[in-house]
Parts: sequence; structure tokens; C-alpha cells
Amino acid sequence: MAGDAPWYEAALLVGVTNALNVVADSPLESLEPASPSAEAQTVFTEIRAFYDRADVPVAFRRVASDPGYLADLWGATRRVFTDNTLTRRHKEALAFAVSVTTRSAFGTAFHLAEMRRLGVGERGVMEVLGVTQMFSSYTKIADTLQLEPDMDHIAEADPSPAPGGPPPPPPTPSPDAP
Amino acid sequence: MPTVRLRDAGEYPEPIQKLFEVAKAWFKYDFAQPPAMSRVMAWDPELGAFHGRAMKRAMTPGEFSRAEKEMVAAVVSGVNACAY
Repeated sequence: MAGDAPWYEAALLVGVTNALNVVADSPLESLEPASPSAEAQTVFTEIRAFYDRADVPVAFRRVASDPGYLADLWGATRRVFTDNTLTRRHKEALAFAVSVTTRSAFGTAFHLAEMRRLGVGERGVMEVLGVTQMFSSYTKIADTLQLEPDMDHIAEADPSPAPGGPPPPPPTPSPDAP
Repeated sequence: MPTVRLRDAGEYPEPIQKLFEVAKAWFKYDFAQPPAMSRVMAWDPELGAFHGRAMKRAMTPGEFSRAEKEMVAAVVSGVNACAY
């Protein structure tokens, strides 16, 4: 996990996962169109293929009355869950951890199913659950005692530029430097 | 600022100081002082032992690598809005 790229990727995944969960877990059944438009159906077909399942996850059905929004939401979701610096299998594990931590009934069940579909066994599921639970403990202990970060210097800062961007300028020497 | 005074490693009894050395090896980093969380967990060694073993068991490579698990830990911490 050296460099910033996997961490950017993970953060974007966390955001999209939470975005799907908040809609799926809210009482918004009435928003699901009874007869989605042809444009929405085209997106649904892509979603079913990506997840290799017959139904469309509820988070997408609830925004289908605006097919343009649905298409963009789906595009963002597909992008963050596709193999990249991180594997899709690992991404589903991260999404599962996020969903358990935020008590998302939809996200927990959905990403648990996806992890299993992608080959994660019961041991692997328990590993992710164990890490999630242990760090849900550490974070609350740290917050209760208001501990300050003291491990952020273990990894060096990544000097690489933004994707496709020019190299960063050289560091400005300190005025105190000889 | 922490709500308690974090004790330096030298203020803990000898057996605990040995555990701090184990923590150093776990993180592969030569800390001037053990991380604050290690020192907090060492306050109650009986709890710390159970908790630490559970954490190590969860973090040990299995179906997922240690690095993959560290990222799971990081996102859980992030979602919990924990700055530490």
C-alpha cells in the first residue's frame, strides 16, 4: 500500500459506499418508479451484469426516476469498485467494513454477499469483521482519552504528482537553512 | 490534549516494557516512546493482553494480507472520525 494512490482510491470508495447506503437504508420505497424508463433499464442491465445478479440493488432503483442521475451514480460506483490499484475483492472488504461501522443494514448484507461471490471465504469474512471490531474499539478509546496522532510519521509522504500532472516544485528551503 | 497523563514507557513495570518491545517489532518502527494507544492498553494488562491478542489475530495475514487489513483499519478509523 505504498504511495498515496491506494489511499485516494480507498477514500473515494468509502464515500461512494456511504452514499449508496444512506439512500438504501432510508424509508424511500415510494421513490422507486413502478415502470422505469428505457434509459433507466439500460443502466439496470449494466448493474445486473456487473454484480452478476438478477435484481438491481435498491440504492439504484430509488434514483431511477432521474435516469441521467442514475447513470452518473452508477458510473461513479462502477469506477470505484472496478479493479484498479486495489482489487475489487479488497474493495468489497473495505465497503463491508464501512457498512458494518456505519450500521448500514443494506451495505452490510450487500457487500458481505459480494465478498462471498468474489471468493472470500468464511475465514476472510471473519478477518475483516475482526479488524473492523478491534478498530471500532481502539478509535473509541482514543476519542474518549482525546489521544493525539503519534504514528503518522511512520510512512513517508508520497512526492509523486497528481495523476497526469506536472512534477511538484522542489521543496522550499527553510529560511534557517545554511 | 489527552484527558489523562500518558506515562512514559519507563514508568511501567519491567514485563510491560518487554511488551512495548514486541509492539515495536510489530510496527517495524523504532519509536522514541511506544504509541499512546500501546501505553493506554498497558494500563490494564489483563484487558490489554486479551485485546492485543484479538487484534493480532485479526491483523495476521490470512485470506487478506496485513497491508489490506491495515487499510480496513484505516477506513474504519476514518468512518469513526477518529483523528488518532
